[in-house]
Amino acid sequence: MTDIVAILANGFIYGSIYGLVAIGMTLIYGTLRILDMSQGSMVMAGTYVGWWALAEHGLNALVALVLAFIVTFILGTATELVSVQPLINRAKEVDLEMVTFITTFAVAILITNLALQHFGPFQKNVPVIVSGQVELVKGVTISYHELTMAGISIVLMCSLGLFLARTRWGLAVRAVAQDLDAARSMGVPVTRLYPLTMGLASALAGVGGVFLGGLYFASPSAGDQPLLFALIVVVLGGLGSLTGTIYAAYLVGLIQAFTEVRYGTTWTLTILYAAILAILLVRPYGLKGSPSEARL
Amino acid sequence: MSDLLLEVRGLRAGYDRAVVIHDLDLAVEPGRTAVVIGPNGHGKTTMLRAISGLLQPWAGEVTLDGRRVDGQPAERIAGLGVVHVMQGDGLFAGMTVEENLLMGSFVGSSWRGRREALRRVYQALPIVQEKRAQKARTLSGGERRLVGLGRGMMRPARLMLIDEPSLGLAPVAIEAVYAALADLRKESEAAVVLIEENFTHVGGIADVVHVLEAGAIIRSGSYAELSTDETIVQTYLGALPEAGR
Repeated sequence: MTDIVAILANGFIYGSIYGLVAIGMTLIYGTLRILDMSQGSMVMAGTYVGWWALAEHGLNALVALVLAFIVTFILGTATELVSVQPLINRAKEVDLEMVTFITTFAVAILITNLALQHFGPFQKNVPVIVSGQVELVKGVTISYHELTMAGISIVLMCSLGLFLARTRWGLAVRAVAQDLDAARSMGVPVTRLYPLTMGLASALAGVGGVFLGGLYFASPSAGDQPLLFALIVVVLGGLGSLTGTIYAAYLVGLIQAFTEVRYGTTWTLTILYAAILAILLVRPYGLKGSPSEARL
Repeated sequence: MSDLLLEVRGLRAGYDRAVVIHDLDLAVEPGRTAVVIGPNGHGKTTMLRAISGLLQPWAGEVTLDGRRVDGQPAERIAGLGVVHVMQGDGLFAGMTVEENLLMGSFVGSSWRGRREALRRVYQALPIVQEKRAQKARTLSGGERRLVGLGRGMMRPARLMLIDEPSLGLAPVAIEAVYAALADLRKESEAAVVLIEENFTHVGGIADVVHVLEAGAIIRSGSYAELSTDETIVQTYLGALPEAGR
């Protein structure tokens, strides 16, 4: 019983934050058909914004989150303009998906090393957003920080869903994902939409970074693990599928929680990857993906 | 010549290295409907795409209301009041009918009038209203075509480019589409360039008919003139149009 509660609670929390970090990658893949490898460095940037705002300047938690959103939005937009946009204009001659896989990764390494130069290699403590914890059943506690993290992640994912379903620019993002020419003939300024989409995706990861910083640390490598998990989640969910990404995020969270509770942390990646290998062999396009269907 | 809404001069365009249209001239007066017919693969769609900016023309001029637009991106030309109803509908398959229509109001000021525009489209095309919550990919070919037309009616247009509205449809569906087009002609003040493979359906709406062959306009005239010209009918269309159309 205790185990089940612990697995469900932790799975829910892991799943929520993985969803938040991964959903941006899905948004980008759905619209631009590229895998944005800079997403991890946006998480990392978020941890430093959290540290700067909360630890260094003692700012309000909400301010820190908004600040992280803004900073990583700008960073993501800039990343698109530098590492993707010039190649889109030459999409006929280059394999966009492959080349941008490398160029966005290059930007990620660049950002990571700038952080290393500027902040040094040592981990910095990021205060939690809300202190305190609650005991669900005997022996199973969740911190308020984790609960807030899960709650805000869910709110942000729902907001993204509403944005895409209800707003003018949200509809435009989906339209571009489904038929580029038709979207352009509707008047959608694609050259502005792409950088903004990547900015938005990065901003979600950046907010996730503030929470993850509080859970772990701010450090130049703080984005490595989240990137790895986000990749697993988006591939497992089916590249470009938002709902698939959310299912996959919680599935990965639950598998991780189950492994930790039953077999210990050292088994996490082993079992996770075995599970993913098995799932992908059965469903090569992921949980919700399909080879040709239009996305988002 | 400034009273022309659309003027195309010496247009040359194609894909990769293949020239599809060359030295194409076309002029459309405000509020008039020009129908361009011709065999498949001779450049009709290419011409529309070069006018709407989905394809960059290689040479020549496209003038809208006295203003050069060739070389500008499709999204900017759309903003100037050009509506392109694409071949095969160009619907957003994973979006609902209503979301598709709303995208028709994306351009600047038209977004504010989207509710009113939706009402108008639903009134004109009741079948579209019936299907408004369905994903576009679940519609039949005829329904899709009507949604595509409805989407084109979601913002005020100065020029509508309509690409083969009868393509691949059953006769009943074609009739429905052309009935909708005839209504649209009555209500809208836009100039229209409509392309089709043959004369069969366009009699009711064409102010002028052009014949496009091998990338250039080779003949122009009224529907009555061309549809009774035996050389035209036999050489380019193979059969006389049905009586009464």
